[in-house]
Amino acid sequence: MFPNFRMHRLQITAVCLALSFLASACASGEASNTEFFGKVQPPAENTLRYISGSEPESLDPQVSTGQPEGRVYMALFEGLVEYDPKTMEPIPSIAERWVPNNSLSEFVFYIRKNARWSNGDPITAHDFVYSFRRGLAPEFAARNAPLAYYIKYAQAYNEKAVFVRDPQTGQFLLEKDVKGGDTATNENAAPVATNAAPAPAKTETAASAKNTTTAGEHPENVGGVSEFPPDATDATRDSDFHHYIHSPSRLVLNGDEKKRAKEIEADPKLKAAVAGKEFVTIRGEDIGVEAVDDYTFRVTLSQSAPYFVGMMGHQFFRLVPRKAIEKHGNTNWTQPQNIITCGPFKLESWKPYNEIVVVRDPMNWDAANVKLDRIIFPAVEDTTTMMNLYKAGEADTVANHNVPIGWLDRIRPLKDYMDAPEAAIQYYQINVKKPPMDDKRVRKAFNMAIDKNALAQWRRVVKPLTAFTPEGLFPGYPQPKGDPFDPAAAKKLLADAGYKDASGNFDPKKFPVEQVKLVYNTKEENKQVAEFLQAQWKQNLGLTIPLNNMEWKTFLKHRSGLEYVGFARGAWVGDYMDPFTFLNLFYTEKNDSGTGWHDPKFDAMINQANSTLDPQKRYELLAKAEAYMLDAQPIIPLYTNATNFLKKPYVKGLYPNAGTMHAWKYVYIERDPAKWDRGVPDMSKSILAE
Amino acid sequence: MLNFIIRRLIVTIPMVLIVVTLTWGLIRMAPGNFYSSEKTLPPAVEKNIRERYGLDKPWYVQYGKMMGSILVGDFGYSLKYEGQSVNGILARSLPVSAILGVSAYLLALIVGVVAGTLAALKQNSRLDYGSMALAMLGISLPNFVLGPILVLIFSLTLYWLPPARWGSGFPSKNVILPILTLSAIYMAYIARLTRSGMLEVLRADYIRTARAKGLTERDVVVRHAVRGGLMPVVSYTGPALAFLITGTVVVERIFALPGLGNYFINANLNRDEPLIIGIVAFISIMILLFNLLVDIAYAFIDPRIRY
Repeated sequence: MFPNFRMHRLQITAVCLALSFLASACASGEASNTEFFGKVQPPAENTLRYISGSEPESLDPQVSTGQPEGRVYMALFEGLVEYDPKTMEPIPSIAERWVPNNSLSEFVFYIRKNARWSNGDPITAHDFVYSFRRGLAPEFAARNAPLAYYIKYAQAYNEKAVFVRDPQTGQFLLEKDVKGGDTATNENAAPVATNAAPAPAKTETAASAKNTTTAGEHPENVGGVSEFPPDATDATRDSDFHHYIHSPSRLVLNGDEKKRAKEIEADPKLKAAVAGKEFVTIRGEDIGVEAVDDYTFRVTLSQSAPYFVGMMGHQFFRLVPRKAIEKHGNTNWTQPQNIITCGPFKLESWKPYNEIVVVRDPMNWDAANVKLDRIIFPAVEDTTTMMNLYKAGEADTVANHNVPIGWLDRIRPLKDYMDAPEAAIQYYQINVKKPPMDDKRVRKAFNMAIDKNALAQWRRVVKPLTAFTPEGLFPGYPQPKGDPFDPAAAKKLLADAGYKDASGNFDPKKFPVEQVKLVYNTKEENKQVAEFLQAQWKQNLGLTIPLNNMEWKTFLKHRSGLEYVGFARGAWVGDYMDPFTFLNLFYTEKNDSGTGWHDPKFDAMINQANSTLDPQKRYELLAKAEAYMLDAQPIIPLYTNATNFLKKPYVKGLYPNAGTMHAWKYVYIERDPAKWDRGVPDMSKSILAE
Repeated sequence: MLNFIIRRLIVTIPMVLIVVTLTWGLIRMAPGNFYSSEKTLPPAVEKNIRERYGLDKPWYVQYGKMMGSILVGDFGYSLKYEGQSVNGILARSLPVSAILGVSAYLLALIVGVVAGTLAALKQNSRLDYGSMALAMLGISLPNFVLGPILVLIFSLTLYWLPPARWGSGFPSKNVILPILTLSAIYMAYIARLTRSGMLEVLRADYIRTARAKGLTERDVVVRHAVRGGLMPVVSYTGPALAFLITGTVVVERIFALPGLGNYFINANLNRDEPLIIGIVAFISIMILLFNLLVDIAYAFIDPRIRY
């Protein structure tokens, strides 16, 4: 009776999309502007209006895991390094330089002396120690905490694990006391062996800590000081903490009393060793971060991590203000009246679901080079609405992936369309635990029966992908190629797997289609891709795989619990610019791939690569590991995403980089039309080369 | 009468508690969590989160805690939006939805009543057919179609009005399109209700009496007919206002407005339990209250109704 149309948002989007066809159809009639989309009129003030997405979860950079929030954080908070606006490589920020040790397992960052908080307080190394410990504190429960697990004892701290101490001598039990020298080599050859223990929490720590003790080139026992290049004199400076963090790894046990008791019970050697000892919960002070002095910050990892500096630009590692947090608490310090920031901009106002306004912070160490006076981040959720605002000249730039595919024919030729590859991929994952997909040949056949070039051509904003790392984003990485499109070979593989008729040819009728499904989360574009795959398999294999769509959160549970049969949609966005951020998904037994696939040999290959110091050699080893994983085909790669957004030509210094993360201080409004960007600006060289 | 009101108000409390309990149960049954996302969380991190938000406690403890705070009017903190209290979100977003809803309804009321009355007075004339055809169009054109069409015309072709966003709020150019979009369907309904109500009344005996007395046509219509003719509109107003004030998902989304509707739909998608419960409880209170108001209004308008 009541005219109240409560529709699902996707239906709304779909209808809006349909209408927007109408809109673009009408609009293409106007001759006013053929070069750019809609109004091109630089704003009167020195202000940028950037639509980053919906309402941010929080203004606390250690809370949210999202990219829309990440961009807002980049205005308000700085970290040790900043993402290069073009290449996304780390460039100096609050740390003016850094020195890694020879095994890339320890990094010393030199904090610039003129860095200040928005309230004028100086920024020191102690602030970083505080921020890192806070992010990992179990009671803070940061979802991003696993990003920092490379730091020594960080995972143990975050998991509330315990050390074992002798109450008489005060000595801590060491890992080698229990695991013994005789088994060490054994473990190193087959890292999974230790992972068989029941508690994943503890075993991963053991696995990563073990890397440290057995990696060979680790210099930790040499006088308690790690080996730094000869010119890095400060970095070698010693301290009690440094001795502690470099002494042989302490034994770490599960923090949960019941689980711990079980583990001890199951291992007689361990039981004997812990008898009469006390368990000490690991504290924030125990993890491998140290302020050597006010302006020297040292991070010690449990393993070599060549990509570690690249991660330091991530929102999780940005600096948070101890003063405000301790005064107002973990949740209230971000309120506009309480917040203290350290970025090139500070918060002017925050109206939830409306807009966030930031203004240039004169306290920032680089304030002289910050070009904009103000940035407005309107909270807009609907893609069509974003496009409308952009067209009407009410927004200067919209975030990535926001040009609807139906508009592309009109938008693509325009000079304000930003099209570049992203460090993000789309794929389908396969549940390798359930037949018939437990057969590698079947998985390979399904992969080979998809014409990925056709898919990419049809999607228009993507590049075809046969591997798992996005193509062409990591210079020098010899990316392996997965199997090509080859329906004949696919049929043969299926015949080999036993689905054949009397004459030995593949027979679709023999294949148990009812045991396989393709699931995806409800969204128009996912549906289109799913239907494309269905059509390809129908056409090339004669198999009709049923589709099944699910609401997002339901889908997540279904997928991560390996409840699905057959295929489930997957997508991954890199956290830092290194192939490992993708390959990591398949690393260790409890991996994030959601496929059930795990191979100790793959883990060993990754371990070997990540302890290799020569970057090129390391890339080659990683590529070998990737090729090995691709051969097992736990996934069907589909495409590399493109940035797909619009930017007014007068917005300069903002680039469609691989993560669509913008270092805002480089962005400015160009009022001279002759200097406007026409097309995608050149991104080949670092901003520092300018 | 007073007894009736008090009795109805007392009944409201258990009703709201039942609605809250059902909602709570349904959220618990829905798969997924406010923290689930593309990245699967390691079990230890998930455990940390569950402990931080008290989700590790037995269900009856959680339920009791929630009910306890609801009874004192505190809906707790949003899980998705760190540090934002549900009460704060309601206090901030309700005025946005309410002012849009009330303005849209007032506009609908004025235009609808005038158009409906004129149509009834000039029955079967061009004016009647024209306005009723428009009303039919208004009823059949859902707001998620009408909104974008208005945006296309006024924002993207003529560049007169902003295509979305709250801007400086009410009153400003920003609210014109949302209010128009929102009111269209109510306008159409009210016009039709008024017309049929008026047609009925104009044929009534007491109107004939008024005419026979020699009153002018204006007096007949304004003093006698409109009052009676508006009865259906009055009973329609209560529930319609309740819905309008508590937020309109579609319009708030299309125009990116910071109202309650946007929060509501996102709270559901985010599994933001305290926020869902807060908004559901609030909406049910509003609907119960407005229904009560309508019942009271009946008593005043219709002499046959006594409580």
